[in-house]
Amino acid sequence: MPVDAVVANGRPGLSWMNMAGVRLEEPFFQQTVDRVKAEQSDAPELFTEFDTLVQVEKTFDSVEPTGFIFHSSRCGSTLVANACRAIAGAIVLSEPAAADKLIARFITDTDETGTKEALYSVFLRGVVKALGQRRAGDERCLFVKFSCCSVSQIDRIRRIWPGVPCLFLYREPVETMVSNLQNVPAWLVDEDRRVLASMIGSSSEAISEMSLEELCARAIGSFYSTANRVANSRTLLLNYNQLSLAEITNVLQFFGVGPAAAEMESIAHLSQKYSKADRAFVADAEAKQQIATDLIRDMAQTWAVTPYRLLEQKRLEHKRS
Amino acid sequence: MNASNLATGKHVVVTDFDGGEGILVDLNTKRYFQLNETAMIVWKGLEQGKTIGEIVSDFTSSYEVEADHAALSVKRLVDSFQTYKLVSAK
Repeated sequence: MPVDAVVANGRPGLSWMNMAGVRLEEPFFQQTVDRVKAEQSDAPELFTEFDTLVQVEKTFDSVEPTGFIFHSSRCGSTLVANACRAIAGAIVLSEPAAADKLIARFITDTDETGTKEALYSVFLRGVVKALGQRRAGDERCLFVKFSCCSVSQIDRIRRIWPGVPCLFLYREPVETMVSNLQNVPAWLVDEDRRVLASMIGSSSEAISEMSLEELCARAIGSFYSTANRVANSRTLLLNYNQLSLAEITNVLQFFGVGPAAAEMESIAHLSQKYSKADRAFVADAEAKQQIATDLIRDMAQTWAVTPYRLLEQKRLEHKRS
Repeated sequence: MNASNLATGKHVVVTDFDGGEGILVDLNTKRYFQLNETAMIVWKGLEQGKTIGEIVSDFTSSYEVEADHAALSVKRLVDSFQTYKLVSAK
């Protein structure tokens, strides 16, 4: 399986690992890759250029994508991905590096003719096909959870897979910001500032002058705005504060999957635990609101609250219709 | 020129993209070529061993285009494929 998109000796391509018999059971794809590397210290990684992917893509027996999960970060998307994983025969790809890095290339490596966009689209399709291979034989659905920044490229992703239903999960901005600033994610401090700059409509130079609070607020504001712009009948909007067993079931049904009773039981069990670690889930909305600094509140108010409210309005409209 | 004398290169991989468009990969040079819908029809015709006349007929039956104009377009595309060594004599 392609485990990363890399540049080796100046040549862009993919890093592959033999994942035969490996279950993608961790909350994130990278955690599974890290486990395999730890268990098999001599596991070889193979580098190929992208032309190899284009050649072998046609030979894969793969599951077509069933549903895509987009999100505004720290908002319950991992719980939803874990719920998808409880479905028999499901493959869940949670933020696989190869896919998310190719999506970032839509921003960082463009040309006027659109050829690069077409190329990266073909590579992305191939990577998802490679990752979605039937390895046990009984796989029947494929869910892909993208990194939060990938929502900025949702138009291009939809162009590749126009019929695949998309979920956009989000959370109230102050709570989202507190979570991100307590435990700062890599995307927020990425040294290559071009993706963030593109998302928030600024320059790499300008964002290097911004506080983390401002950057975070503007980024999540851009996620809400993008989701609001692209929301249609093939998009389900879900607020973290609505997350419940019934809503998760609704998400699965939106993806065309009807969970069996035993699967529902597993999902109910999952929803009582913290999605990224094996401990009980504790609601923290109030606590996050209480510890938010004035700067977080100011930045949220300036950059994220209005797009959040508009998105909420859109969600309620969708629910009524 | 008779396209039936031309064969698409074994070193070239084609993949569909976005409806009728496609990408060709020349495995020898590692060069990629983006083909529009028209170019894809010509390429697929060549893959199937069709003559220029048959490919032109494919165009005139599918699109509102004069045969002369279609023939010229097909010839230009085949010339380009030859220039980049994507096709060769059988």
